[in-house]
Amino acid sequence: MDAVFSNFDEYLKAFGLTIGLFVVSGIASLVLGTILAVLRVGPVSILNKAASLYVTLFRNTPLLMIFVFIFIAMPVLGYNFKVVENIEIAGYNVSAFFFRACLALTLYTSAFVCEAMRSGVNAVPLGQAEAGRAIGLTFSQSMTLVILPQATRAVIPPMTSVMIALAKNTSVAAAFGLAEATATMRGFTNDNADERIGIFLFFAIGYIVVVEVISLSSYLVERKVRVAR
Amino acid sequence: MTAQETGTVSAGRGEPLVVLDGVQKHFGQLHALKDIELTVKRGEVVVVIGPSGSGKSTLCRTINRLETIDEGTITLDGKDLPQEGKALAALRAEVGMVFQSFNLFAHKTILENVTLGPIKVRGMGKAEAEKKARELLDRVGVGHQAEKYPAQLSGGQQQRVAIARALAMEPKVMLFDEPTSALDPEMIKEVLDVMVDLAQQGMTMVVVTHEMGFARTAADRVVFMADGAIVEENTPEEFFTNPRSDRAKDFLGKILKH
Amino acid sequence: MRFIRTKAVIATVGLALSLAACGDAGDDGGDTTDVEVQENAGDEFDEGTAMKEFADSGEITIGVKYDQPGIGFKGATDDMPVGFDPEIGKILAASLGIAPEDITWKETISDNREPFLQEGEVDLVIASYSITDERRQVVGQAGPYYVTGQQLLVASDSDIESLDDVKGKEVCSVTGSTSLDNIKAEGAKPRGFDTYSECVDQVLSGTVDAMTTDGAILLGYAAEHPDELKVVVDPFSEERYGVGYSLDKPEMCQWIVDTLTKAEDDGDWAAAFEATLGQSGVDTPEPPAMDECPAA
Repeated sequence: MDAVFSNFDEYLKAFGLTIGLFVVSGIASLVLGTILAVLRVGPVSILNKAASLYVTLFRNTPLLMIFVFIFIAMPVLGYNFKVVENIEIAGYNVSAFFFRACLALTLYTSAFVCEAMRSGVNAVPLGQAEAGRAIGLTFSQSMTLVILPQATRAVIPPMTSVMIALAKNTSVAAAFGLAEATATMRGFTNDNADERIGIFLFFAIGYIVVVEVISLSSYLVERKVRVAR
Repeated sequence: MTAQETGTVSAGRGEPLVVLDGVQKHFGQLHALKDIELTVKRGEVVVVIGPSGSGKSTLCRTINRLETIDEGTITLDGKDLPQEGKALAALRAEVGMVFQSFNLFAHKTILENVTLGPIKVRGMGKAEAEKKARELLDRVGVGHQAEKYPAQLSGGQQQRVAIARALAMEPKVMLFDEPTSALDPEMIKEVLDVMVDLAQQGMTMVVVTHEMGFARTAADRVVFMADGAIVEENTPEEFFTNPRSDRAKDFLGKILKH
Repeated sequence: MRFIRTKAVIATVGLALSLAACGDAGDDGGDTTDVEVQENAGDEFDEGTAMKEFADSGEITIGVKYDQPGIGFKGATDDMPVGFDPEIGKILAASLGIAPEDITWKETISDNREPFLQEGEVDLVIASYSITDERRQVVGQAGPYYVTGQQLLVASDSDIESLDDVKGKEVCSVTGSTSLDNIKAEGAKPRGFDTYSECVDQVLSGTVDAMTTDGAILLGYAAEHPDELKVVVDPFSEERYGVGYSLDKPEMCQWIVDTLTKAEDDGDWAAAFEATLGQSGVDTPEPPAMDECPAA
């Protein structure tokens, strides 16, 4: 275990990047996935079809292929997203690699978020939407004020699963230029071939902690939502 | 509602407010509405009765376009019902609707249920909306429940809140779609009392109901529907004592036996 | 585009192989040499040694890289891997009386070399396998049979000329490799990929500024894309490639050292180099002196 303890700052930095990937693509997926879900249940037929096509495309494509497409095919076609490196947020600027990884994770995860959201929306009785419309709410008002807040509760358990999958899926970025937890683990084992099992356990524990934090927060949110009813 | 507002509602009493002309509606093979001609005048209370599946709920729901129609026209206050979007939402704000299953917003308090429309649709300030909401809740007798959530109220209380929610929009016409059918018998009266009160103050109302007592007391006109068509229209006294059609006689015979 | 190019590579390798089969010189580090297979090799070894077992059974499994042109490379449609490492494997197998076509090849990647040896999945690992003290704790490493050093592969028009130039630049290599740690220590932003070929693609598409790993591997890629890529910087690390074996069979060390020393002396080593890494145009170096085997 010396390998991990003597490089503990590396270990923390690695999980920091894992969490960074998770948080950024998690938020982006929630936003994009919710918009897609609204389009799927919405009244405009062409948008229904577009959202449904998106979900079919990205939910059925292996994540690794999406990464390969974004990291290897897109740059050859001339899209390398280097422009994001010129954008500075609070003194930090984002690397094109981080952006690409978040893009790949978001494209993939938002399809699952959309379906989880849709199941939540379907769990809200139709009468709620009719009552919203009957007092003159527009479609988007009735979505944001009436349907989505109520869908949230039904959505938490499936959404938690989606988010846990996302946290673990960030490890695919290990093979695409990001020194997150899995990549760092491979570096550690390469340098310390005699401590493979200890290193593996330590990194596995790191992932377990991350996932447990997600489960716990979802439990707290679920309880809060229940009390509010 | 103040006397002054009641006066506004009653203004122009007798002019046509809701006009259905040649309305046709199909659900797949089922011809749900057959060539419906119906005019509801300002201040008039029209009660729609008929056997299950006669299309009376569908008729009620077409008036604020919760159901679309295949043919014909529906006008409200002289204007055609818009097809989609903001114009339709604006029209619906003018038409209050009370559902059989109440449909209160489950995640909002009673007060928030009533203020949501005025604030979000009418752009009213929060304080003003709440003041008005409390007046309406007092009027339907659930003012002391304002901070609770719908699930904490009885069915009768919920339905009275639903009426207050619709009234908060100051609608030109109120639609009631079997408002007492989901209620326990002891709660039916408290809801009907509110409706009778509303009718006496001159609100234009279209009421789909099985409550013949309410029809006798409050209706200006009874519309009898069977198999998607309007079979008979008459005053309550005429209709109940002297129905002209066989369908109506048969129907009344069944429900008035006990 | 990548797929089209990959196909082109496969086609090139296939062509090289077919040429090689006709006894012609290949152009892709994919040439092979003939080895002289020892006859009655079983008699040479003592009862109970691993070598005796291999010789008697006529079977040996060797782990090599499949994605490093010049070192160890196997296209999807090829039967056998080609490169300097497989050549060394053939020399070792020949001393056991095992012909090249009777060797079982297995792909080993950087991550699984130790486990494969420990679990007996392979008998030997000859896979650009640098000798380190940590690795020698868990597996045996005999050699070195080749010494190289870390260098940089950049686009032909790159302005990276010295190691100082990589500070703050994005440099890729294989995830978890020592090369990546080394370049990070030089102030570059390390970018790990699963395979060297993906990393080369990043340099070709301009997504990263350079690729780094052992010069031998880089030369192989530079030879593949002579117009687009070049190898720069003097080697800034020393990587000593060894042959991995299981610590359960310590007797193998002396046999590996003896066999390879003999190959170095009689010119087989130089022939193997010229047929593979030598194709990229570098001069054949002096073969390195081997480490003493640990006392049994």
